[in-house]
Amino acid sequence: MARILRPYGKKRGERRTGSKRLGSYGEALFFLCVLAMGAAGLYVMLAEWILPEWRANQHFAEAECTVLGTRVGTRQVDNGIQYYPEVWIRYRAQSQQREAWTYKLAPVYVGDRPAAEALIEGFEVGQTYPCWYDPQNAERAVLVRQYTWWLWLLLVVPASFVILGSAGLVRALLHTSTSAERRAALVQRAAGLELFEDNQAMGERYPGIPRPSSINDSPGTHLAYRLPIDVSPGWKLLGVLLICLFWNGIVGLAIGGVVSDFVAGRGSWLAAAFLVPFAIVGMGFIVALVRQVLVTSGVGGVRLEVSDHPLVPGEAYTLFFSQSGRLRMNSLAILLVCEEEATYRQGTDTRTARQRVFEKQLYRRESFQVRPGMPFEDECELVVPEAAMHSFQSQHNEVKWELLVRGDVAGWPDYERRFSIVVYPQGARVAAV
Amino acid sequence: MNTPRVTLSLDAKAGPYQPGDVLRGQYEVGILHSAEVKAVELSVLWHTLGQGEEDLAVHFFERLAGEEGDVLDLRAPHAFEMMLPNSPLSYDGVIVKICWCVRLRVFLGRGKDVLTERPFQLGAVPAAQMLE
Amino acid sequence: MIHPIGHNPFATRSVRPGALDYIFPTDLRVEDVVERLRAHGWWGEIVGPHGSGKSTLLETLRPKLEAAGRHVVAMTLYQGQRRLPPQGRHQGEWPTPAQLVVDGYEQLAMPARWALQRRCRRARAGLLVSTHRPTGLPTLLHTAPDLDVLTAIVNQLTGGDFSVITPEDVARAYLVRGHDVRETLFDLYSLYERRRRHDR
Repeated sequence: MARILRPYGKKRGERRTGSKRLGSYGEALFFLCVLAMGAAGLYVMLAEWILPEWRANQHFAEAECTVLGTRVGTRQVDNGIQYYPEVWIRYRAQSQQREAWTYKLAPVYVGDRPAAEALIEGFEVGQTYPCWYDPQNAERAVLVRQYTWWLWLLLVVPASFVILGSAGLVRALLHTSTSAERRAALVQRAAGLELFEDNQAMGERYPGIPRPSSINDSPGTHLAYRLPIDVSPGWKLLGVLLICLFWNGIVGLAIGGVVSDFVAGRGSWLAAAFLVPFAIVGMGFIVALVRQVLVTSGVGGVRLEVSDHPLVPGEAYTLFFSQSGRLRMNSLAILLVCEEEATYRQGTDTRTARQRVFEKQLYRRESFQVRPGMPFEDECELVVPEAAMHSFQSQHNEVKWELLVRGDVAGWPDYERRFSIVVYPQGARVAAV
Repeated sequence: MNTPRVTLSLDAKAGPYQPGDVLRGQYEVGILHSAEVKAVELSVLWHTLGQGEEDLAVHFFERLAGEEGDVLDLRAPHAFEMMLPNSPLSYDGVIVKICWCVRLRVFLGRGKDVLTERPFQLGAVPAAQMLE
Repeated sequence: MIHPIGHNPFATRSVRPGALDYIFPTDLRVEDVVERLRAHGWWGEIVGPHGSGKSTLLETLRPKLEAAGRHVVAMTLYQGQRRLPPQGRHQGEWPTPAQLVVDGYEQLAMPARWALQRRCRRARAGLLVSTHRPTGLPTLLHTAPDLDVLTAIVNQLTGGDFSVITPEDVARAYLVRGHDVRETLFDLYSLYERRRRHDR
């Protein structure tokens, strides 16, 4: 049975039920209503309040007026009485003498009489003041010109209806008998607009490959480019510290409560036993924190620089390496690896699978020391295998190349640092960005 | 409704396509009776396979639609050609695979469509190895 | 030699909910489940452990519910999602008669579940959920696939070709994965890739 309206989007898979076309038309009608409401609201606000106020401030002609009298008017509303100030003026406009009760372009309503009187107490009978009249209708004049800022802010409301309605309508119309390929083509065209020309040029010439600009914007001191580290150990340390503090703080409070109960003679062994697994986990976090502190403080900075970037299979590059800190190294190795990464949703789970498909050791050094202020530095050759797969990135799938620096430190936890690199297809001629 | 007979073929070629090569082929849509072909879309695209959610990107897209009230007559072979891009290359990975294909979608009346696909290989990247 | 991109019958596009029909035990059909749901005023739950096919069953039921005149409003709750997405909270937008289908109902916090049930009662909408453990709704079916069902799934995926993945492989993987069909299919994916590469 075909449905008239489809109130929700397709969740997954290619299956559709009911009439696609009717569903799309229903959706388009809904957004058309939203657009119409927004347009109507926008028109009313602009025509009744915004534009007249703007004209009063920008286009009304200035004149001189004499105050003949003042008063406070009243009007009945649902929850009581409102008061508004008025001033009786005489002024000359377009070669004619005129009189009018006025204050601002639109009446200003306040909740009590004294507030209304305060607004006009500065206008004395018999005195002259500047006033402004409408050149298109000289009978209309004002004594006070201002912008009502909250009126302009309220424009956001109908404007958002217009934007939402337009976007939804365009989307619904596009989706009417629109294939996945056509939608992908349209989205790609829109997404291809880049702020920076050279990034766009690279993206257009090599679609599906991550832009190398984050690396190519980072010059090295020994070689052309410095490779950024994937996850800074400082952030890792902060993360572990926060988790450790949070968990052990709560567990500590609970343990303190149990201990004080025992001291007061009303302790419960059941409560104590309940806390044991949480305390074990807390100790695990402390061990992890200590380990991270040792790694971060002892290991020091690891720096990798490369002679050119992005890389191309079959070509040889130079890799410069620097390790600082105070370390007695059992071994240090640099590896070139390629990993595939795939993200998927199955049922209610979201998972990311990883698979290493290439690994090659580029450099290894054993049994040496790193002293403070004297970083260990060396160079080696880096060659990406001929015909290797280039780097690739899409929304749920990735092929990424990385350099791993693995340190085996005597009496210290081992560490590993990862540095991303971008590999282009074999034979690519890529100008440095 | 009669289902049209759709033929989609690529010109014979020795070996895989390379970036910058011209991909040529043709299609025809044979209609047995007065089945209505509202529109035809030809796309050259890549999509992923494997363990991840499927991603897709279109390199070339062409849509032929009949004028108001008219039906399309594609019984004569309709040729197409376009230059292939530099990337991404076809890839037989372990959990991520990239497949190129030509897809022809024929839109009939009442929201129905018929899909035909011809895969092809771009580049000569060897299959990935599984490292434990 | 050019190797075409290797087709793996256990790829995500082939095994995700909606790609495969739920395989029922021999004495049960999808229409029976719809009738059970109807008998309980269109309220019910499908109970089963991880990877037992609950999401697949919901996808199989959807067209049958539509055919029975119910307007399906479907939503999936992912890990840690304790609140309903907007389409579950705005009953004013539900078509009539609405049939809410919630995959992952156990993720919802108790107050959110009560609120949803209240909304459904007020709107006279049906409520069909999938959950790992009973939540108090009428239980329509316990999903507990056995090896025969898994073998039937593999048969469907491979088109009956057991030359690369044998029934013994299926049984072994099923045992290793503690009878979790989803995890078993992931393992079979890896095994298929390994064998395909080895045979080349």
